[in-house]
Amino acid sequence: MAEGALPYPLTGQRNPLRSAVLALSWGWLLALVLVPNLLVLAASLLTRDPLHFLQLPLTLDSYRRLLDPLYLRVFLDSLALALATTLGCLLLGYPFAWALSRIRARWRPLLLFLLILPFWTNSLVRTYAIKQLLAANGPLNGALLALGLIDAPLELLYTQGAVILGLVYLLLPFMILPLYAVFEDLRPELLLASRDLGAGRLATFVHVLIPLTLPGILAGTLLVLLPALGMFYVADILGGARVLLVGNVIKNQFLDARDWPFGAAASILLTAAMALLLFAHRLARRRLRHGTVP
Amino acid sequence: MSGRLPRLWLALVYLLLYVPIAVLLLYSFNDARTGYRWGGWSLRWYRALWANDTLMDSLWNSLALAAAAASLATAIGTLTAFALHRYRFRGRQLMHGLLFVVMMSPEIVLAIALLALFLLVGLQLGFTSLLIAHLTFCLPFVVITVLARLAGFEAQLLEAARDLGAGEFTALYTVLLPALLPALLAGWLLGFTLSLDDVVVSTFVGGPSYEVLPLRIYSMVRVGLKPEVNALGTLLLVFSLLALGLSQLLLNKQKS
Amino acid sequence: MKSLLFAGTVALALIVAGCGGERDAQVLNFYNWSEYMPQEVLDRFEQETGIAVVYTTYDSNEALYAKLKLLDQSSQYDLAVPSTYYVSKMSREGLLAPIDQGKLHGLDQLDPQLRDQAFDPDNTYSIPYLWGTAGIAVDAADIDPAGITSWGDLWRPEFRGRVMMTNDLRDVFHVGLKLLGYSANSTDPAQIEAAYHKLEELLPSVRTFNSDAPRMPYLEGEADIGMIWNGEVVTGRADLPTLTYIYPREGAALWLDSFVIPKNARNPEAAHRFIDFVLRPEIAALISAEIGYATPNLAARKLLDPAVAADRTIYPQPEDLVNAEFQQDLGDAATLIYHHYWDRLKAGR
Repeated sequence: MAEGALPYPLTGQRNPLRSAVLALSWGWLLALVLVPNLLVLAASLLTRDPLHFLQLPLTLDSYRRLLDPLYLRVFLDSLALALATTLGCLLLGYPFAWALSRIRARWRPLLLFLLILPFWTNSLVRTYAIKQLLAANGPLNGALLALGLIDAPLELLYTQGAVILGLVYLLLPFMILPLYAVFEDLRPELLLASRDLGAGRLATFVHVLIPLTLPGILAGTLLVLLPALGMFYVADILGGARVLLVGNVIKNQFLDARDWPFGAAASILLTAAMALLLFAHRLARRRLRHGTVP
Repeated sequence: MSGRLPRLWLALVYLLLYVPIAVLLLYSFNDARTGYRWGGWSLRWYRALWANDTLMDSLWNSLALAAAAASLATAIGTLTAFALHRYRFRGRQLMHGLLFVVMMSPEIVLAIALLALFLLVGLQLGFTSLLIAHLTFCLPFVVITVLARLAGFEAQLLEAARDLGAGEFTALYTVLLPALLPALLAGWLLGFTLSLDDVVVSTFVGGPSYEVLPLRIYSMVRVGLKPEVNALGTLLLVFSLLALGLSQLLLNKQKS
Repeated sequence: MKSLLFAGTVALALIVAGCGGERDAQVLNFYNWSEYMPQEVLDRFEQETGIAVVYTTYDSNEALYAKLKLLDQSSQYDLAVPSTYYVSKMSREGLLAPIDQGKLHGLDQLDPQLRDQAFDPDNTYSIPYLWGTAGIAVDAADIDPAGITSWGDLWRPEFRGRVMMTNDLRDVFHVGLKLLGYSANSTDPAQIEAAYHKLEELLPSVRTFNSDAPRMPYLEGEADIGMIWNGEVVTGRADLPTLTYIYPREGAALWLDSFVIPKNARNPEAAHRFIDFVLRPEIAALISAEIGYATPNLAARKLLDPAVAADRTIYPQPEDLVNAEFQQDLGDAATLIYHHYWDRLKAGR
């Protein structure tokens, strides 16, 4: 079948089934996606009202508050945290995906199954398991103490590191799966060719392997970075209410401090960041497709 | 590249993935109340779990919600995927784009947006609001899953059915649907898991009249030292194992 | 066939979920602080009245207020337990229904000093539930309690990284304000700012903020000293016997939590019956002993186990409360200032 060509004539003619299906599809997209986001945009432009949450004077105050060094710092910090998480996933996941693609095909479904299985356990329960694991009186410290590797329990919990660990743990499969997909499609001859042409292992890695797997890296980054910014419950449980992510800020504004315009503005900022990343991803992919990658 | 190193890395990562699971399993059978000592094997936390009515209620609520959301999402999502695949219409690219955006959106953005919608419309926060919200984040995943399957579909079969005189609807029903079944099942399972696992969206659009499991666990975990949670986690794990295994078996049978 | 199965699943799920709603004929939707009501009390209430209690929790007055406002029109909660200063705020904004005192027995057993307060004259909207203090917790296994007498001790360099604070705006600012000699209910922006700067210095020492279960970091071995509510020490001692409570000399924070009934409560009958149930001396005594906070019910106090009644952590002596202050409502303008500095405090590191 030709690449891209649709296999049978598209029915452009009007028939009742077509109209119904299209109406349904547009319907849910408009009602549940477009309209709600427009409402948030509207809310971000309104003023805080202590009694009714929102009131009329339209203003850019909320956005101005976002630029306050205090909140800018919070956003940058949480971006840094999310980036650290993405990096962690990449460092663990890239070699993993490559190694998995080299395993005999017979074992791969089972290994993939084992990879996905923890994902099917409730993420809160797994976060709680990490909390128990890292506690000063927990098994990790217990083991390290027993082995004589440390004198006093390590302060692992209620730190940025604990939050990053938790996020990496929960989001790792999202990095591995797209990477595995590109590795699976990778033709080993390309790597061999590069080596035959005299390139060292490092050069092959940097100039051949990375570009070839870039689509996977980009996809994985997107799938980890964005959720990481919003997963406030991991920061709550493992960070001890000291580590603030953008998600926590938004949640606090809506459920505690009741500054809805500000929370809405923060949410719009997050959406804008996502749009930016998606756009960058699209550009990168387009460049890759038209580039010299065979 | 030697064969030893990559396998070592695989083993390492799997180890890291399963250590917390092991903690979960072990502590669910730990007799000691504070999880930091080993008190001997015991089933007391499973008994406590069974006796914990609010937790069991919320489990039941979550299962029902997830089943409903997954089913509705599969129905609507399949139709949407079908429209995208088969029909030519204005704004096709836009629809693709919107779907992708929804899939990528951080859940909290979704949650806030839907909360705003519900408040505007005056919808009570409870089962209905949760259902609509869960439907919203499950739909794109179903669409993408089904669309991927449709892309590889043998259109000639459909045309053959049409040539034999079947109407559009009958052709779809008898030829396309059975072939799509694995994708439908996959989409349903995905939606079910996403719904069962959701914390962020449920925090914002849920109400006390319909308590869901993740929120219950969340408040239990924050209060700390609830070994029943370990028991619950173990049970959920076993349940997922069975469900996934079963679906794999069914799919493999179907292929042959 | 498949579509039938499919439609069947949907229908079944919807029916099952829908059936859940019918139970609210005899259901009490109780919104309370986490771990603030013994399960035994809920069970006994259910057994006696047949009313099922749906118990959901919050960890701050702000969260309670926000949720109630959000759900105001849909009347989802029948009973809640805000602290003093939120009772007046909520009643002013028309969020509460007046309590029918005729349905309650034993109101006269409540400590007259805690009734008919300025924040709710005649107890129109609230009935006192428990009162307590926020003071200093010390793990005696790591720190000698005798050496800790002041809020200022939290700032000591040897405790760096081992301090725990409650995740409560008013509590934390109470510490800063009292230490500087100001009232904990100050509305003076200069004083609030000064308190903020003082607290800023403490921040590097703070390991974690926790209002869900402040005793947990001690039990987990992550903190040794900090601000805590007295009842948490009492319940924490069961697992960590060395946990000690100290009344700081600048003054602990005093608070009173009361039952209120939201205006649009679906089942105010059940709410009244529950309050009535809790007013019984033996129930109030049970609650106080198990949760670790003081009951305003004088008849109940007579029923207390002598060890509990003599426990200074739960029932302080007058000298413990010399400089203690009740948390009052500060009005909207001042509250905004506090929130502003609280955000700064939390965001800084």
